[in-house]
Amino acid sequence: MKDIFQRMKDGWKTSSKQVKLSMFIMGAGQFCYGKRAKGILFFLLELCILYYFFSRGFRDIAGFFTLGTTEADAWLGIEGDNSVIMLLMGIFAWIVLAVFITLYRLNIRDALRMQRRLEQGKQLESYRKELSRFLDKKFYVAALTLPVLGVLVFNVLPVVFMILIAFTNYGGDIVPPRLVDWVGLANFRKLLALSQFAPTFFRILGWNILWAVLSTALNYFAGLGLALLLEKDCVKGKAFFRAFPVLAYAIPGFITLLAFKFMFSYGGPINQLIVGNGGMAIGFLDLDAKWTARLIGLLVNCWISTPSIMLLATGILANRDKSLYEAAEIDGAGRWKQFSKLTLPFMLFSTLPVLISQFIGNFNNFGIFYFLRGGLYLDGYFLASDTDLLINWLYNLSIDNNYYCIGAAISIVIFIITSILSLAVYVKSPSYREEDTFQ
Amino acid sequence: MKKIRVVMIAVLAFTQLTGCGAAGGNAQQAESSQATGTAAGSSVFDGELEENVTIYVLENDTAISKGYFDELIEAFNEAYAEYGITAVDANMDQYLDLANDGPYGYGPDVLYQANDVIMQYAEDKHIYPLPAEQLECYELIDESAWDAYRIEVDGSEYICGVPVNVQAPMLYYRADLLPEDWESAWDENGNQVPDMAESWNAMYAWSLQRHEEDSTKYGYMKSLYDTYFSSGFLFSYGAYVFGENNTDPSHIGLAAGEAEKGAWVLSQLASAMSEECIDDTITANAYSKLADGTYFATISTPDVYSTFFDELVMAYEGEGMSEEEAKAAAEENLVMTTLPMLPESGDLTEENPTLIESKTMGGINGYAVSAYTEYPNDCLAFIEFATSYEMVVKRSEMLGIAPARQDAAETAGGTSELLYQSLADGNIVLMPSIKEVAQLWTPAETFFTDVAKDVFRSESERKYKDLEDFRAGLENMVQQIHDAIFTLQ
Amino acid sequence: MKKKKGFWHGMDVCVTYVLLFAVAFVFFFPCLWLILASFSKSGSIYSFDGFFPTEYSLASFRRLFTDTALYDYPQWFFNTLFVAAGSCVIGSFLVILTAYTMSRFEFKARKPLMKGTMVLGMFPSFMGMIAVYLLMTQFNMINSLWGLILIYSAGAPLQYLTQKGFFDTIPKAINEAARIDGATSFQIFTKINLPLSKPIIVYTALTSFTWPWSDFILPKLLLKKRELYTVAVGLMALDETEFARFAAGSVFIAVPIVILYFVLVKNMVNGMAQGAVKG
Repeated sequence: MKDIFQRMKDGWKTSSKQVKLSMFIMGAGQFCYGKRAKGILFFLLELCILYYFFSRGFRDIAGFFTLGTTEADAWLGIEGDNSVIMLLMGIFAWIVLAVFITLYRLNIRDALRMQRRLEQGKQLESYRKELSRFLDKKFYVAALTLPVLGVLVFNVLPVVFMILIAFTNYGGDIVPPRLVDWVGLANFRKLLALSQFAPTFFRILGWNILWAVLSTALNYFAGLGLALLLEKDCVKGKAFFRAFPVLAYAIPGFITLLAFKFMFSYGGPINQLIVGNGGMAIGFLDLDAKWTARLIGLLVNCWISTPSIMLLATGILANRDKSLYEAAEIDGAGRWKQFSKLTLPFMLFSTLPVLISQFIGNFNNFGIFYFLRGGLYLDGYFLASDTDLLINWLYNLSIDNNYYCIGAAISIVIFIITSILSLAVYVKSPSYREEDTFQ
Repeated sequence: MKKIRVVMIAVLAFTQLTGCGAAGGNAQQAESSQATGTAAGSSVFDGELEENVTIYVLENDTAISKGYFDELIEAFNEAYAEYGITAVDANMDQYLDLANDGPYGYGPDVLYQANDVIMQYAEDKHIYPLPAEQLECYELIDESAWDAYRIEVDGSEYICGVPVNVQAPMLYYRADLLPEDWESAWDENGNQVPDMAESWNAMYAWSLQRHEEDSTKYGYMKSLYDTYFSSGFLFSYGAYVFGENNTDPSHIGLAAGEAEKGAWVLSQLASAMSEECIDDTITANAYSKLADGTYFATISTPDVYSTFFDELVMAYEGEGMSEEEAKAAAEENLVMTTLPMLPESGDLTEENPTLIESKTMGGINGYAVSAYTEYPNDCLAFIEFATSYEMVVKRSEMLGIAPARQDAAETAGGTSELLYQSLADGNIVLMPSIKEVAQLWTPAETFFTDVAKDVFRSESERKYKDLEDFRAGLENMVQQIHDAIFTLQ
Repeated sequence: MKKKKGFWHGMDVCVTYVLLFAVAFVFFFPCLWLILASFSKSGSIYSFDGFFPTEYSLASFRRLFTDTALYDYPQWFFNTLFVAAGSCVIGSFLVILTAYTMSRFEFKARKPLMKGTMVLGMFPSFMGMIAVYLLMTQFNMINSLWGLILIYSAGAPLQYLTQKGFFDTIPKAINEAARIDGATSFQIFTKINLPLSKPIIVYTALTSFTWPWSDFILPKLLLKKRELYTVAVGLMALDETEFARFAAGSVFIAVPIVILYFVLVKNMVNGMAQGAVKG
């Protein structure tokens, strides 16, 4: 602590008066150093942000803590507070604050750098030079600013919002215009106290993991296999054959799912054929059809996902180092050896991250069983069916039943389990640790 | 470059933020509306029309596609042209959720939806209470229909919607598919109405017979999972949804009374159908299968009469009739009527059973005014216009709906009158208007699917062998609904 | 010896083709079914004889494009095209940029960022939808196609892993050589790496086009006005008796992607400049 104060004190002492000026008004130092445009830019930025804070930012931050004080009542003409909006805009205000602090630091460091350059007797950089230095040495900052900001607002903010919801009583009867409150860990305590909860959770978790592993492996090897098959020299009309999976890829997923659901239904063509030939209609997806329904889910998911993996694999295979194969051929390595020693490691290396994101995607694959076999609660499951994945269960609990806060609490639990699992795999994976292997 | 970008983002964020109003602030002008007694309505209805404005009306898709809605707004706009009020199609999803969109300004001004949906908005005051007693139609609509829109808040009662039409399951059958000798063999009481339309026992017997004569044909067919249609069989034997007139979710009455008999009836009916009754196949194909004669009868709501009718006309045309002939024949042969009576014992094979009335789950569709509208008086004027005698009669003619207005129901005659009567007699159990009803569907669907599936299971795997088993199944379903409502609260 | 090899080669070709035809059939059959269903005369799916309709006509397609009072398919189609094209351009740009940066630069925040994006993907997405909706109401971007583009593009960089995997396989030696020649990072990216990454750019463009093209949840959430619907939302709003029209709409929506594929396929497969990468 003391050290920091000391350093700040030293920094204060050694800095020029222009830098000190920058500490109070963004851009003022730059302006005095003669970099007027830059100074004005900084200053305008500060004005904008300050305007935001005075017009609503501070109120938003206060709202973050209170979550509203007046309940709206349209019948009495009371406008009232909307708690969830206050929570959301509160988080947003924190993000703006963080951006503001970053900018402020940037501004001071920029002024300091100018001071140092002048002390060393050098000229200040021209804008042109500064820009090119920036694009070169700090390319990653320039490149990542926009993506990071976008992800921050549209992806991180919602997730933070949902995580915070788990600590409120939002849901059930308490939705706007009613006021939401912070309740601490009450939702998690409720989860622990629920006796029906645990058996269903572990039953679904087991199937969920099995599903994610099986479907990821199936899709991956089907896609890779297909790509390799089409790569073979003897295949004429590659584009023609490749077009069929692409056709499947071109039809939106939910349409495919509805179509398959119909095909396997009692009145669908498959059963029509069976009955037409004198057989008994088969309930492929009905409530007794635990394993057939699961198997159909796997295959349909494979049908939907394989084309995109095939396309990806085709792209990556094109990037192979052909000389290695020529060398292998000369050494007398067979086809299988080439595949297992060259192709597979290469593919695994460059697609392992994809494999993991595929795994996550399958783990959280909401649509497949929702469309194929929604609307069942089966014995032995608490508000779920035997093909439901955790995400379907979560949907039953939170959206169908409106219990947002409980839903958020469960998603945090699921989220912690799954992210630990996949992070562990990811961090151990060669594509994360040895990124240079193939370079 | 980077700085310019940062500025741009800041400015962008900033302009966006100023665009939106902050909640809170002056909320003090709360004139308490001094509501005493029934149906006072909100104080915003001061009778002064807001002039030169446009109001957005949400109607249902059928009314739009059949052209009724166009005529309605055209007539309204003409009548109110002097005030400069224009009603237009809100052009939104008919199942839009006002509670989600209204508060942010993206909802319609006037909406037409089912009573259970509208009353869920009322609970959180997303719609205005209406001065219903001032409306011309007030006296002409049955009390039970108004009841569907009544809500009690802080000791006073409010009416939040204006009933337009009654929705309840109706029996559809083809008169030309009756056995040749039905007047002698299938009309015991000699009232010129076939027994199949009067008693489920006869319907069951005829279904078995029809399927036996030709294995590709069936009698009565319906997807059983559909709770809206199947729960009526439970109600007929004393079940109900929630306690205290559907307001107390802690008390679920789907297993009450002798509901197991209703489940048994369903199971017997299923045994005369094919496996298709297990999933939604029949719901989707009933229109074409009734038209091509595969099915003899099914149940559905009155508003799809025109769909059945059109399919049948197409089928007749396919058989070589001219368009005129086909229409006349379809008019004559497609019968829509109230449901047959049930045997008190629940045994569909019983001869000369004591019969009881069938009850059904039903709903009342109507208009409501969004609490987020700026022109409440215009909205009320629109509702008054749309629920006038002429408009409701026209609606009934064009869409085949059963009006909630007595005079219009009498004019429409036939089924509409029957439906109005069953509503007044209490044979239509209205869908509960509380939020908890959302938890009803999945458990109930699962139970009904199970009952349907059970008929087609092998003898050793059957779950429902006697009334006790049905009772246990019902109680299990009630427990699931209860869990869904309360475990997480 | 030579003869034997020829036999095995023949077998190999044979098996390959058999497999290919099997795969083609598996993928084509459901599509064919959907296509033929869209030409069904009756409109109802249940009047089919087994898998296929008994009578064919163009009526569904005609109705799809002419009967637009309630279901304005042409308008939906252009909305979808607009959103998908917009998100494709902006989204692909951001993904490629992110992936390249993450693959080629060493900086303090890199590994935390990688882990962070990984973890972010694990969060059940529909839970965040509530927040996205609320956020868009605050930005006044409900009922706006640009709002959709914004969200799709902003979320796109999270899927950078595939592209990063690709850049990882391009030897770093090329970059270093260029740097010695005096090129800046920006130049190295635009002049050297981008031309080498055609296949992955095409892949990225295709995926970031198809995702908004077929997504249903987000447009449903953000577009309240019928005239702004995308095809996916509109098709789901179709009445259940209109199956042939549903099928026709589904088939037609696949057309641009198939065309896009045929236009891009050459780039994707042969995009690598062979000589440049033997490092």
